[in-house]
Amino acid sequence: MSVDSLQTLANVGKGESTRTTLRVVILFLIAGAAIASRLFSVIRFESIIHEFDPWFNFRATKYLVANGFYNFWDWFDDRTWHPLGRVTGGTLYPGLMVTSGIIYHALRTLTIPVDIRNICVLLAPAFSGLTAFAAYLLTNEMTPSSSAGLLAAVFMGIAPGYISRSVAGSYDNEAIAIFLLVFTFYLWIKALKQGSMLWGALCALFYGYMVASWGGYAFITCLLPLHAFVLICMGRYSTRLYVAYTTWYALGTLASMQIPFVGFLPVKTSEHMPALGIFGFLQLLAFLDYVRSAIPKGQYQTFLWLFAGGTFGIGLAALVVATSAGIIAPWGGRFYSLWDTSYAKIHIPIIASVSEHQPTAWPAFFFDLNMLIWLLPAGVYLCFQQLADEHVFIVVYALFGSYFAGVMVRLMLTLTPVVCVAAAIAISNVLDTYLSAKSPKPEDRLSDEATDAAVKKAPKGGLKSTSKPFVGVYSIFSKGAVVGAMTIYLLLFVLHCTWVTSNAYSSPSVVLASRLADGSQHIIDDYREAYQWLRQNTRDDAKIMSWWDYGYQIGGMADRPTLVDNNTWNNTHIATVGKAMSSREEVSYPIMRQHEVDYVLVVFGGLLGYSGDDINKFLWMVRIAEGIWPEEVSERAFFTPRGEYRVDDEASDTMKNSLMYKMSYYNYNTLFPPGQAQDRVRGTRLPEVGPTLDVLDEAFTSENWIIRIYKVKDLDNVGRDHASASAFDRGIKKKKATKKRGPRVLRVD
Amino acid sequence: MRWLPAFLSAALVAAAASNSKKSSEERFSAFHAKSLSSTPVKLSDSSYRDLTKTPRDYTAAVLLTAMDTRFGCQLCREFQPEWDLLSRSWIKGDKSAKSRIVFSTLDFSDGRDTFMALGLQTAPVLFLFPPTVGDHAASSAEPLRYDFTAGPPSAEMVHAWVARHMPDRPHPPISRPINWIRWLTTIVAIAGSVTAGFVAWPIVLPIVQNRNVWAAISLIAILLFTSGHMFNHIRQVPYVAGDGKGGVTYFASGFQNQYGMETQVVAAMYGILSFAAISLAVKVPRIADPKSQSIAVIAWGGVLFIMYSFLLSVFRIKNAGYPFAIPPFM
Repeated sequence: MSVDSLQTLANVGKGESTRTTLRVVILFLIAGAAIASRLFSVIRFESIIHEFDPWFNFRATKYLVANGFYNFWDWFDDRTWHPLGRVTGGTLYPGLMVTSGIIYHALRTLTIPVDIRNICVLLAPAFSGLTAFAAYLLTNEMTPSSSAGLLAAVFMGIAPGYISRSVAGSYDNEAIAIFLLVFTFYLWIKALKQGSMLWGALCALFYGYMVASWGGYAFITCLLPLHAFVLICMGRYSTRLYVAYTTWYALGTLASMQIPFVGFLPVKTSEHMPALGIFGFLQLLAFLDYVRSAIPKGQYQTFLWLFAGGTFGIGLAALVVATSAGIIAPWGGRFYSLWDTSYAKIHIPIIASVSEHQPTAWPAFFFDLNMLIWLLPAGVYLCFQQLADEHVFIVVYALFGSYFAGVMVRLMLTLTPVVCVAAAIAISNVLDTYLSAKSPKPEDRLSDEATDAAVKKAPKGGLKSTSKPFVGVYSIFSKGAVVGAMTIYLLLFVLHCTWVTSNAYSSPSVVLASRLADGSQHIIDDYREAYQWLRQNTRDDAKIMSWWDYGYQIGGMADRPTLVDNNTWNNTHIATVGKAMSSREEVSYPIMRQHEVDYVLVVFGGLLGYSGDDINKFLWMVRIAEGIWPEEVSERAFFTPRGEYRVDDEASDTMKNSLMYKMSYYNYNTLFPPGQAQDRVRGTRLPEVGPTLDVLDEAFTSENWIIRIYKVKDLDNVGRDHASASAFDRGIKKKKATKKRGPRVLRVD
Repeated sequence: MRWLPAFLSAALVAAAASNSKKSSEERFSAFHAKSLSSTPVKLSDSSYRDLTKTPRDYTAAVLLTAMDTRFGCQLCREFQPEWDLLSRSWIKGDKSAKSRIVFSTLDFSDGRDTFMALGLQTAPVLFLFPPTVGDHAASSAEPLRYDFTAGPPSAEMVHAWVARHMPDRPHPPISRPINWIRWLTTIVAIAGSVTAGFVAWPIVLPIVQNRNVWAAISLIAILLFTSGHMFNHIRQVPYVAGDGKGGVTYFASGFQNQYGMETQVVAAMYGILSFAAISLAVKVPRIADPKSQSIAVIAWGGVLFIMYSFLLSVFRIKNAGYPFAIPPFM
């Protein structure tokens, strides 16, 4: 009986249908794991939208669901960028909102009443399951080993590099874009391998979806032509390549031009030029291919040289002329900063100010990818073994992906898929070799020796390491040791991913968590407290001025018009806010009046030690303002003569008189005994006498002082300027005020 | 010859005294005449006072610098050629002095007193004294100061700054002299490399087509990029740093920091780990002899294990809260 059951056990997984079932089950489990590992924040906090950009996407989705698709397409939003407004429908990537809109309506027709917020919160985890599946498909195209695809799916599902942008609540474009990226690559490989117009068209379709979803589509637009170019350089031009590429390019470009935000960019801007250039180049090659079959060989050589040289010269001249004549736009700023790495710092401070656009230090790579990062080179090396067209793709992708990820932290996201695929190829190669139950017998070797010599000379142009024939692993001990070690590494990888996700990537940043002395969790909910205050205590059309980081949140949570938001399309308008924040009150007041500002919102972390506050971001406001008004705002003036950025007694006068400084520290010293006021972020003691505010009234300060809201005073009703009016008030009320209320004390709870 | 400096300074004082009686117009034409022969005008303490005296109907751009090697002012020396170029091309483009500006330089060795009087601790300092009388008079006689915090500026940047503070006056553009040497070397280099390429083509072609070479290039590039080389390049981090006790720290503290050496160590670790993985996957199963195969498995497996343990321990230096480790580096 025991023999029987062993036999059945051994036979399980041998039949093709059992294998398929197993694979399906495993893939479903992987999808489940991918989704589950992204739910930390929902469990710890609640089903809430995270961070900044997702709040805009959420607001736009609500608009789409409420007003229908056509209204959404033509949406002019007068509640942002006051007084300019924003043509929102024409300046966003609608893919994400439309996707959740479709899901919402589909569930409604199935009579499943789901709140749109829950769809938005859970969209990213749901799509991560699909991404894992797409990684499985892509890897299966690369290697005959069936375990590689499953490994790639697991890696893709739980790699922190991807989780960082797809936890529940992180309702951002990347949530669906990474799935589309990987799936488009899969379709491209499929189209290229089969030379099939159908797969090419499917690739174009998903490319169009990708363009509709994320600005990062330019990565595909550049990578596919690059792959085609490398193949051509390797002398691997084929009709398969021609069919796949031209189908993708023609249909994909047409599809991408349907998005209003993209419009005619694919034929105008330089980042789309490689795709167009390779398209033209392929036509030439196809023509040459035809000519070669038609004329004798000797003539063909001369013809080829003349033709190639002439075309290249004409093309280059045309490009130069068109660029200098302004027909083709130069590289977009964000894109340009990827090549010339010091470009952003000099020319576009607004891009350099975003922390996602900083270069990546090595710990970030290891943090986000753990052992996959050192398996990447191994996987790429294994791709060189066969080096078919699809392996060239992995090599090219790995090279460029790692370059871009090194230049810009956020592009770690585009590197992660290829790292997962390459690492899966490497690991599966090791496991397939060492897990095979069949061991070669030393006797076989002798008989093999004769054939060895014959085989040795056969593979030419291959890798040096694979010149010898494959033998297999002899001893059980070797197998056990290697497989055991690999299991440890894989388990460690899972632990690492869970730890990173739970500790680093699951904070909604709208709600902060801290630990009390007894170890229990304490939720700091100042943002929502303040936005709720705005929603309930201000007029419906009260204009709120804040730094652009908080624009989307104010729009989404407080539902009030803002001056600037995270869209950052209008640098001058942002600089205006920066100037108002960094100037003296007398200068700022007219600016605020001109923009009909009712309330000013600042984020201040000094009490709690919350380092992401406005005083720490202040220098960027100054820099951006200085870019537009170099005479009126000067970064130098905010430093002490010795070049330090300080907020204490020794801070420069410009700093102390700036509106931002005053708003942050107004009345702050009343929390402390005289002379003891402490800023816990900068770790300094503050001046004994706090700043005074003449043109603003303190309207609201949240529990932990993270958000402070000020009301802009109306013009004085007897025509005095605000400084003298408040001086007058202070002169009268001085004694009363001190009697009535003692120093405010810090609430400790 | 003891009396010579004394005599000279007396003569200078006399000259200054005679100058100081001149009107603003005369002073400007005197300085402009000087700048036509050599610009920027080299100043001394007295001529500095002379130039910046109010009332003035002209703009004076004064660079206070310290060119002497003793002061070790790198920025001064880097900026000087740009400053010379700016003033030369400006004066050349505006011989008739329509823009009414004087470019001048005051070196620390000539103007110690001025530096003391202005309380300057650092150099270079670029002042732009606006006119106080005449058509272009500014409201304040106080000089504007150029901000050198962003490193040595190019002549074009300073030109833009000067032009911004002198609206509705001509701003002669900067004309950089053609660098003949560079052109020549470039042409020779291109011609040389084309020739060399043509001659060496039969030798180079197998290398270009060799798969091993490309594999090596790709792997090295990937290792460089993933070990934070671009960060070093952009942030210009130091190679190593002292630990404050006379020793050397190889690993920067903090997650967002790194040193040049550190990234090389990390790249080497990644490289060794990858190589061990490749060996286990590709080379070991091709070893025909069972005994040497077992030894190879133990060797590569051991290298992999120990290296990974070391990598985790290095990562714990960067991220103190990281909980995972494998022996021997716990």
